[in-house]
Amino acid sequence: MATKTHENPELDMTPMIDVVFELIIFFVVTLKMATDKDESVRLEDGKHGIILTPEELPPSHITIDIAKNGRISMANVTMHGPEITQKIRQRVGKWGTDFPVLIRADWRCKHAAVAEVMNACTAGGVWKISFVAVQERKSGQKKTD
Amino acid sequence: MKSNRKEQEQPKLDMTPMIDVVFELMIFFVVTLKQDDIFSRLNANRPAPNSKPSDSAPSDQIKIDIGPGGFILNGRGMSKRDLRANLKSLSATSRNATVLISCTMDSPHMFLIEALDMCHEYRMENLSIFSM
Repeated sequence: MATKTHENPELDMTPMIDVVFELIIFFVVTLKMATDKDESVRLEDGKHGIILTPEELPPSHITIDIAKNGRISMANVTMHGPEITQKIRQRVGKWGTDFPVLIRADWRCKHAAVAEVMNACTAGGVWKISFVAVQERKSGQKKTD
Repeated sequence: MKSNRKEQEQPKLDMTPMIDVVFELMIFFVVTLKQDDIFSRLNANRPAPNSKPSDSAPSDQIKIDIGPGGFILNGRGMSKRDLRANLKSLSATSRNATVLISCTMDSPHMFLIEALDMCHEYRMENLSIFSM
């Protein structure tokens, strides 16, 4: 009886620390997944292109997403031709015309949206354009998911 | 009786923290092992918005038209497989050829990427994309 009253107020911290660690891991993982690209875009295979390593891209690069329905966005913000031209011009003023412009266009979107983006780039003074394709599917995500 | 219980407690291992740690490790590895796709970039040039490919095509120009139905190479409609075979033989004779790709507005983007990928496969790097 005497031992029981002693044990009662003593809190065991171990499960609490476990739960806290679990929560930390959960938030670290989910925060990494919240990216600034349009996750709905499904890319076509392009096995023979130059391998694209996100770490090697200079900070001056620009990525433009085009969704299946033709929605054009940058960093998940919907944009139109003139706004893209403006963004390109800002970069040309800062870094010159030799920075990578990447277009992540869904394989099902119509060329009209892609043409709008390319015309916006040329209006801003950039002629070299790169399209993003999938070299190798490793995440298990299919083209039509 | 009391001493007997103490002897019994000593060899008994508490498995709970070990199981906790094992679960933690399992979650960690499941999360970190999830691999990303490897992406590639297909480079091309985009001429001025209103320019059209010249009709007087020099011999070292390859013209690929892309419509909603598929590919037309130098005026002949063909499947993806035929286009690949034709580009392969063309690349053998004229490696530095300029490839002019014209897409209609209603053609799916998929065809353009396929054509660009084929051109990269056969080391044709002088690519221009037009829209019609």
